[in-house]
Amino acid sequence: MNKNDILLVIIICSVALFSLLMFNIFKNDNPKTAIIYYENKEILKINLTDDETNEYIVKGYNGDVKINTLNGKIKVVAENSPLHLCSKQGYISSSYETIVCLPNKIIIKIIDDDSLDSVIG
Amino acid sequence: MAKKLLISVISLIIIAFVIVVIVFNEQEYTSNLFYMDTYISVKVTTSKYKSNVILNDIDKIFNKYENMTNRYSDSELSKINNKVGTFEISNELSDMIKISLEWYNKSNGLFNINIGNIVDVWKKYRTNKNGVPTVDELNLDINIDNISLYGNKITVKNANIDLGALVKGYVTNELKSYLKSKNIKKYVINAGGNVIVGNKKNDYKIGIQNPDGGLLTTVNVNNKCVVTSGGYERYYEYNGVRYHHIINPFTKFPSNYMKSVTVISKDCTKADIMSTTLFLMTIEDGKKLAESNNVKVIWYSNDNEIIEENYE
Repeated sequence: MNKNDILLVIIICSVALFSLLMFNIFKNDNPKTAIIYYENKEILKINLTDDETNEYIVKGYNGDVKINTLNGKIKVVAENSPLHLCSKQGYISSSYETIVCLPNKIIIKIIDDDSLDSVIG
Repeated sequence: MAKKLLISVISLIIIAFVIVVIVFNEQEYTSNLFYMDTYISVKVTTSKYKSNVILNDIDKIFNKYENMTNRYSDSELSKINNKVGTFEISNELSDMIKISLEWYNKSNGLFNINIGNIVDVWKKYRTNKNGVPTVDELNLDINIDNISLYGNKITVKNANIDLGALVKGYVTNELKSYLKSKNIKKYVINAGGNVIVGNKKNDYKIGIQNPDGGLLTTVNVNNKCVVTSGGYERYYEYNGVRYHHIINPFTKFPSNYMKSVTVISKDCTKADIMSTTLFLMTIEDGKKLAESNNVKVIWYSNDNEIIEENYE
């Protein structure tokens, strides 16, 4: 092997290591992120570390679901369902709280650095 | 030429190695399911290669029990409820009914699966959020002797069987066996009030919700089921009184001995049945039942006291 061959092997190794590194980095979410799912499909990711108030609209099973964020908290403001349980729930702000809009098949989870594996209740 | 070949081979080996690592690298895969009138969160640690099959199979297992026990759809259970006669039923349904009948005796009648008609009356009131059922409306036959089981043959009359107090536990037991057969060690499945966890180096940390808001406490568990019963999720209020969904078969009214009770056991069916049964009795009586059945229990009393007993 001459110098160029060795260089090529080093480059290939670096690319391989870099890919692995990127693969692992992208596995982790940002601190305090809200993830919104429609059934199993992740449809929106919101960074909750912003101090701004924002409004989002996602499509649920029964139509639009209006979502509001404020200072690290998130809530459902309006949706079409018989009992409106998820709009009545109000803001959630930690990973042990989840908003589940059962008729609309919308789930809002918060990912933060909390070490709990699950919450029962 | 030989050098070039050598470099090509080394490159190919490295690329193959990266692909293998990416495909077989274990990480957490999740899915959200909706069965048994509840949201189910599934987290399994496995390879990308296996993940689709595993998550699909878990979905199928929940779906199987939904089609077996949902009283409000064309399920296997619906075909025998409110009918008169002898019917042949599946092994799983017969096993769940058998376990329930045994627990009827163990609990001196508190765990009664022939309570479907009473549950329906309360459900109607909970939906309308108006009024309380009258004594006449609740004067329904819930005698457990209306159900008799011989192997896979069931004879029923005046029976409306509700398996809601154990089916989630029974499904999670099956999931545990399934995941073991697929050599999956790390998992957390949360089906409403039922959580099952696998094995990992450090214990799983499970939070127990405080019925008054926030977290009540946390438990560290490995290879266990944690089941909570409480009257704080499905309820309605009328004239300042809260009426929830866990009904005492003797009074036919919601039970109010405590705010919540959590049972921890390796056997998920037992944990599920016991959380309902313990919710229907005083904490003192519950301690005796917990001791004779070797489970760990965390009661949250009406005076906001956390009482823990470990009989495992």
